Amino acid sequence: MILTGSAIQKAVQCGDIVISKFDDSQVNPNSYNYHLGPVLKVFDHFDGEKAVFRPEVIPDTGYLLKPGQMYLGNTKEVIGSRKYAMSLIGRSSVGRLGLFLQVSANLGHTTSEHQWTLELVAAKPILLYAGMRIGQVSFWTNLGQIKPFSSTYAHFNEAHEAVL
Amino acid sequence: MILTGQEISNQVKKGMIKISPFNEAQITTNSYDLRLGNQILRYKSDVLDPKVKQDYEMFSIPAEGLILPQGSFHLGTTFEKVGSDHFVPILHAKSGTARQGLFVHVTADLIDIGSYGNLTLQLYATLPVKIYPGMSIAQVTFWQPLGEIKLYSGKYQGSEGPRASEIYRDFK
Repeated sequence: MILTGSAIQKAVQCGDIVISKFDDSQVNPNSYNYHLGPVLKVFDHFDGEKAVFRPEVIPDTGYLLKPGQMYLGNTKEVIGSRKYAMSLIGRSSVGRLGLFLQVSANLGHTTSEHQWTLELVAAKPILLYAGMRIGQVSFWTNLGQIKPFSSTYAHFNEAHEAVL
Repeated sequence: MILTGQEISNQVKKGMIKISPFNEAQITTNSYDLRLGNQILRYKSDVLDPKVKQDYEMFSIPAEGLILPQGSFHLGTTFEKVGSDHFVPILHAKSGTARQGLFVHVTADLIDIGSYGNLTLQLYATLPVKIYPGMSIAQVTFWQPLGEIKLYSGKYQGSEGPRASEIYRDFK
């Protein structure tokens, strides 16, 4: 089952969900809004094995994403849960401008808790601003025993490229 | 839990799910098929600035079809109005749509409980693809929520036809 906004608020209060910083005004009927962190990782070159990224601070005037390539960003908030599974996506207001948030991997595993890396792909050139309200995360009940697997990315707070 | 097609049909009859017009033939095993409405929206600007209210043009898809060029982005609409005060809808492409390289949303598949209206489709064509008014393009699933329900009353409530982003309101 998917948690309603009220259930998300209660779970934050009792520690079953961690959202930091939590703000009641960002609760939706069945999700919670998150904001974009201040630094993007921008594709620099391909080293023969993998893409190499360079960090770029988003200027106050906005950072222009070009279509046809992926950028990495992160959530301003720390988001996680030891009890629920998560799905992290963009807001409809952002999708309506043609911005992909998470290209296909929207699933957040139970027990992970960090600032999430965002995969950003623009269908049209679009400006991004640090701290903008960019996405939403929903929480889902589990069926079965929770047995965390060793995680690769769950400890990173900065935008992090693939570990190959 | 996800509702079966039969349960979607039951809940529509009970008024717990609203789909208009509703046609039993569009029920599938786990979803309800949605048709493409005839209006299309295209932003005029080459660069989209979320801080700025975007200009756009709106036009009708001709009966003989419209070719969406490779790499193009448009907003479309479902023909049906959809919503529920009791279940969470999630929007998906029909697999036949996706197999043509067409996204019907680029990120926001999750719909708020309490919203009702035409669903705006975020049409991103990765290949040239031809669309027709009334074609079966998307599907909606319904999911059981846990917790007290507070209904959506946001800016896209009661949408008719494709609705451009109003994210510029965040920056005021």
